[in-house]
Amino acid sequence: MATPSDGSIFRRRSLFKAAGLGAAGAAGLPFIAACSDIESGSGTAQVQTGFDFLPEYKEWKLPLEPDLVGEPPNHPSGFTSYPETVQAVTDLPSGTGTYELTVPMWGEAPSRDDEYYATVNEAWGGTVVHLRHSDGNTYAETSQQWLQANEFGDAIQIFSWMLYAHPNFRETVVNSFYDLTDLLSGDISDRWPLLASLGDEVWARAVWSTDPEDPESARIFGIPGSMLGGTQNAMFYRTDLLEQLGMEVPTTTAEVLEVARAFSDDAAGKWAFLGSDWLTPAWFGLASGDGWAYIDGKLVHNSERPEYTEWLEFRRILHDEKLQHPDIASGTLDTKQLFKAGTSLFQQDGMTFWSEYTDWVNSGEAPGGIGTLGAIAVEGRTPLVHAKADVEGWVFLNKDLSQEQVEELLDVANFCSAPYGTKEWELLEYGVEGTHFNYGEDGTPVYTDLGVSVVQAPVNYKTFSGEVQKFLTGPPAMVQALFDQNAALKEYFEEDIWAGVRVEAPAAFTAAAQNLQDQENDVAYGRAELSEIPAMVETFLNNGGEEGREHFTAVYESLHGE
Amino acid sequence: MAALQTSVPGAAQAPTERPRVKRKRTVGQRFRHDWPLLLLTLPAMAQLAIFFYWPSAWNVIAFMDYSPHRPFWENPIVGFAWFGRLFSDPYFLPALGNTLKFALAQLAFVFPLSIVLALVMHSVVSTKIRSLFQSVVYLPYFFSWVLVVTVFVQMLGSDGLVSNLLLQSGGDRLTFMTDGDSFVFLAWMQWAWKDAGWGMIIFLAALASINPSLYEAAAVDGAGRWKRMWHITLPGIRPVIVLLLILQLGGILTVGFEQYQLQRDSVGFGATEVLDTFVYYRSIIGPQSESFGTAAGLFKGVIGLILILIANNVAHRLGEQGIYQKS
Repeated sequence: MATPSDGSIFRRRSLFKAAGLGAAGAAGLPFIAACSDIESGSGTAQVQTGFDFLPEYKEWKLPLEPDLVGEPPNHPSGFTSYPETVQAVTDLPSGTGTYELTVPMWGEAPSRDDEYYATVNEAWGGTVVHLRHSDGNTYAETSQQWLQANEFGDAIQIFSWMLYAHPNFRETVVNSFYDLTDLLSGDISDRWPLLASLGDEVWARAVWSTDPEDPESARIFGIPGSMLGGTQNAMFYRTDLLEQLGMEVPTTTAEVLEVARAFSDDAAGKWAFLGSDWLTPAWFGLASGDGWAYIDGKLVHNSERPEYTEWLEFRRILHDEKLQHPDIASGTLDTKQLFKAGTSLFQQDGMTFWSEYTDWVNSGEAPGGIGTLGAIAVEGRTPLVHAKADVEGWVFLNKDLSQEQVEELLDVANFCSAPYGTKEWELLEYGVEGTHFNYGEDGTPVYTDLGVSVVQAPVNYKTFSGEVQKFLTGPPAMVQALFDQNAALKEYFEEDIWAGVRVEAPAAFTAAAQNLQDQENDVAYGRAELSEIPAMVETFLNNGGEEGREHFTAVYESLHGE
Repeated sequence: MAALQTSVPGAAQAPTERPRVKRKRTVGQRFRHDWPLLLLTLPAMAQLAIFFYWPSAWNVIAFMDYSPHRPFWENPIVGFAWFGRLFSDPYFLPALGNTLKFALAQLAFVFPLSIVLALVMHSVVSTKIRSLFQSVVYLPYFFSWVLVVTVFVQMLGSDGLVSNLLLQSGGDRLTFMTDGDSFVFLAWMQWAWKDAGWGMIIFLAALASINPSLYEAAAVDGAGRWKRMWHITLPGIRPVIVLLLILQLGGILTVGFEQYQLQRDSVGFGATEVLDTFVYYRSIIGPQSESFGTAAGLFKGVIGLILILIANNVAHRLGEQGIYQKS
């Protein structure tokens, strides 16, 4: 259950007081090291606790207890059985408006005419919300332009991982989106009981400050998504293919290479890996996010650590020994299809791929089965697993909407916050019975082909607002495996040194980091030599890396009172 | 007695010869006289104003710390600070270098190819072969760069048709599409396939304007095929060649975008980064402000203008028409 943050270890005022930053305030630390008179893009930091204007927390009692009780958010609870669903929203609002919501879409966008949309629209009270699908692969970058041009319809969904492409997001948020504070502050449980039960920890993550100089200007600007914790990504492998090799699931980087060598056959068109760029740094103990770790009393960037070279050497081995697809660098491969076809053994992906592949297997569309590699580390070292408790994203409403329109959309958000075990959740998640899903023998919903193409899409109404509590759900065997995995991995979860603050890096740091990433790929794909690593790190540090360190250090010291 | 008439009859009454003064018409008079013509130009002027001059005026944000979220007049003036940041960026000069490299490669290897294609086409007598030839070289221009790159990947990629044939015959895969060192050659092949046919069209039009009797007279005088080309054909299309050359020089820092952006991941940013992709990754989808991108765009524009003026001046000095007739 999401809990209010009254007991947080620091308060936003003390945060800045401790840093000696005075009125720099909750919205942003003072701009650091700007280029002459240029002040924009110097980085900000937004604390996420201690607000007194959030919706008053009122518990909405869950209709049932989970079968597997974990320690949310990093070790979520789960259900291995499918319950009788109950109605969550009993006092149905009456909505008449029509709205456009821009959402990312990976794959082919489903038809807007499908019964799913009309049924859901009717179920939440008549408000029509059209989804404006946009290519998920480029959504993070392109959404920046739509936002600045105010061309995103009535609302837009932004996932929290997409903020890397929005360097001045605070400025965008406070200028483009509707300020929800007046509508949501205080007791909202009468009209929006499910939103009221999300808790301070969730709502605080939807706060930005309108004036970086004024700590009192913090306001609620978004409808937060579900609070996620634990591992969000994994290196999946085909269990059937590994069995054919007669090998055990690898636990060290050396064993991974051993399995990869056994599987790969370049001439036969088989390669163990498709991609390894963003998941494998953890195998070498490198930090997540912007790449900062607090070591020996200071912030050290991944690129300054010896493990960084080890990681690039590992990736280079995959290239040199032809253990990865030769065209992987192009970024144009349909990796899921290649994985499904058995062309590759491993697939780095988000955790939702587990249920996606399981559904394919259940419908006979894909062979074998999948599992995830656990905590991989260099032999003899303690593994590190990237995990972070955070909201998955936000739906932001256009500032040009009227108050009545915003209230109507909050009605919709309240409906979409219904958790597992409710009729609302079932409708949003599986669609219409007989059309998009049927109950299986064990009573669990199973998608029809239409359901797979329309409802199973990773983004639609399901993610309009956060669920009261997010559980592990789906095929029982998969839920059990996921639950066990989180239980096994949680001791290796990376400590979040930025917990309680949202940091926007300086533009120069972000630009230098982008170039560094490009150069990492040059080394990994054989376009540059390993001996060039020191030079590229030096270039990174001199052209934004050090500026980033200064900014992140100021935030870190403020946060940890050093 | 009648007085002796010394003057030509009627001369005394003739008005004194005055220098003819061309009366300057007022703006109002000129407007009343020319309004139908002005009306005809109105759509073009509106189009230019809306889509060219108005956006061009926004170049002023290169000198501001611009944010789209505040009123225009509240954006602080920062002088040349963005230009300073642009020139001190360690990846700006490599991008500029790549841009010039690709521009010169286009000038040296694609521009002449279009002329050669036009000459070959002009010499083909059979209408059927001519139509076929025209379709083959001209059609790829209408393909998008996505399609062009995809075709090349499918044919010449590491997992493409040729690579698999080589593998079957005991050879190794091609690494052609992922090799930064040979990217200029790859780019040239793509330009040649996609753009050379289009460039040919203008030269063909110029060739059509050459009087055929010149060829006949030269042939009668014993001039062979090469002599006729050297002394008639090439001089005939020289003004067009010079004009296009000057225009190409003006756009020397605009070598395209999609071709490089699409192959950036495969080949690496070091080999493919040109000014337009640099701006895109730094400013459009990157962390730097719009002002940074505008400063880079302005830099390109100024360099292009200077090159056009120089090239045009040189053309005039060599007796060519250039981009306008020197009065």
